[in-house]
Amino acid sequence: MANERKQVLTRGIFKENPVFILMLGLCPTLGVTTQVINGLGMGAAVIFVLVFSNIFVSLLKNIIPNSVRIPSYIVIIAAFVTIVEMVMHAFAPAIYESLGIFLPLIVVNCIILGRAEAFANKNSLTDSFLDAIGMGVGFTLAVTLIALIREVFGAGTITLIPMGSFSGVLEIPLLYTYPVRIFSLAAGALLLMGYLKAFFEWTANRKRG
Amino acid sequence: MRQFARVGITLSLIAAVAATALALVNAVTAPKIAAYELQVIQNALVEVSGGFEIADSREETQESGVLEVHTLLDPDGEVAGYILQLNGAGYGGAMTIMAGYRANGEVIDARLLANSETPGLGKKAESASYMEKFQGTGGDTPVPVKRDQLEKSDADSVSGSTVTFTGVARTIALGSDYVKQLGGE
Repeated sequence: MANERKQVLTRGIFKENPVFILMLGLCPTLGVTTQVINGLGMGAAVIFVLVFSNIFVSLLKNIIPNSVRIPSYIVIIAAFVTIVEMVMHAFAPAIYESLGIFLPLIVVNCIILGRAEAFANKNSLTDSFLDAIGMGVGFTLAVTLIALIREVFGAGTITLIPMGSFSGVLEIPLLYTYPVRIFSLAAGALLLMGYLKAFFEWTANRKRG
Repeated sequence: MRQFARVGITLSLIAAVAATALALVNAVTAPKIAAYELQVIQNALVEVSGGFEIADSREETQESGVLEVHTLLDPDGEVAGYILQLNGAGYGGAMTIMAGYRANGEVIDARLLANSETPGLGKKAESASYMEKFQGTGGDTPVPVKRDQLEKSDADSVSGSTVTFTGVARTIALGSDYVKQLGGE
């Protein structure tokens, strides 16, 4: 049983990674990954929404009539997304501005509705919570990885949170002067996504033997 | 019939709870958001004022592209220039620019506020140094709206983001013309 629980938690990170394996939530993945801080911010927002929507969907699974389950999930998800949006706007305005339209669009992020429909409405509260954490962390790692590669090559910088005397931006000597511009553009995001997908497929296949 | 009632009641209950939660969060965050937005505008105003006093009066205009006009006063209380809040179009769509002008239309300084330009390319226009190439233009010399009107080093700095540059430049030029038409009254 404990082993099964661990499975629920960890499979979202690699084996069923929402971005690289399930191919869900690609729109924000490609859209916001121009700076590392955006990847982290988006990841945090998705984890928050995913955890709470999974919890509430799981709690209400016997109360919500089957015929209106999707509208109910959407209302629950939209409420949490709006909360994230307002809180970020008030307390982290810089991230709020750079995430732009992709923040409210978490409402229609397939990962969240997908987990509500495929997992949380059939499973217990604890399992739904673990599933949300696993999938959320998997998504965060994926977008942060893509953002790191794109920002390092495309702009020659790594943008993190400014703290004290640290401005939040690390500059990489050679790449800052001669960046590979294509990585910061949409086409570069698609190319990179393709390579990473191929890499993950390759490692997954190699394990299976 | 009972089934319908159950569906309706469940859905309205969920919506009501969600709305209440949102109202509570909004009550906490709304003042913070308003204060932040005001701060951004205030900072930009001071930065582009060129040391002149910003008069309290603030006018909203119907002119296309010009959102707001603030008057700048010199120490004698005479009109020294204007700060305009302008609407322009860049590579990523609409953008807001705050620009200060002397009464003859010469640019004091400008700032790019809300925008959706590409990070690493057009987003660089947000930095204060980006606007240096416009300072002092618009009066005797025209605002550079094409790349070949710029110095070599400035032209290089906008390569890769020409659309952003043209968008910013045209907006600043439009503001300059608007100020000339006001004529320092």
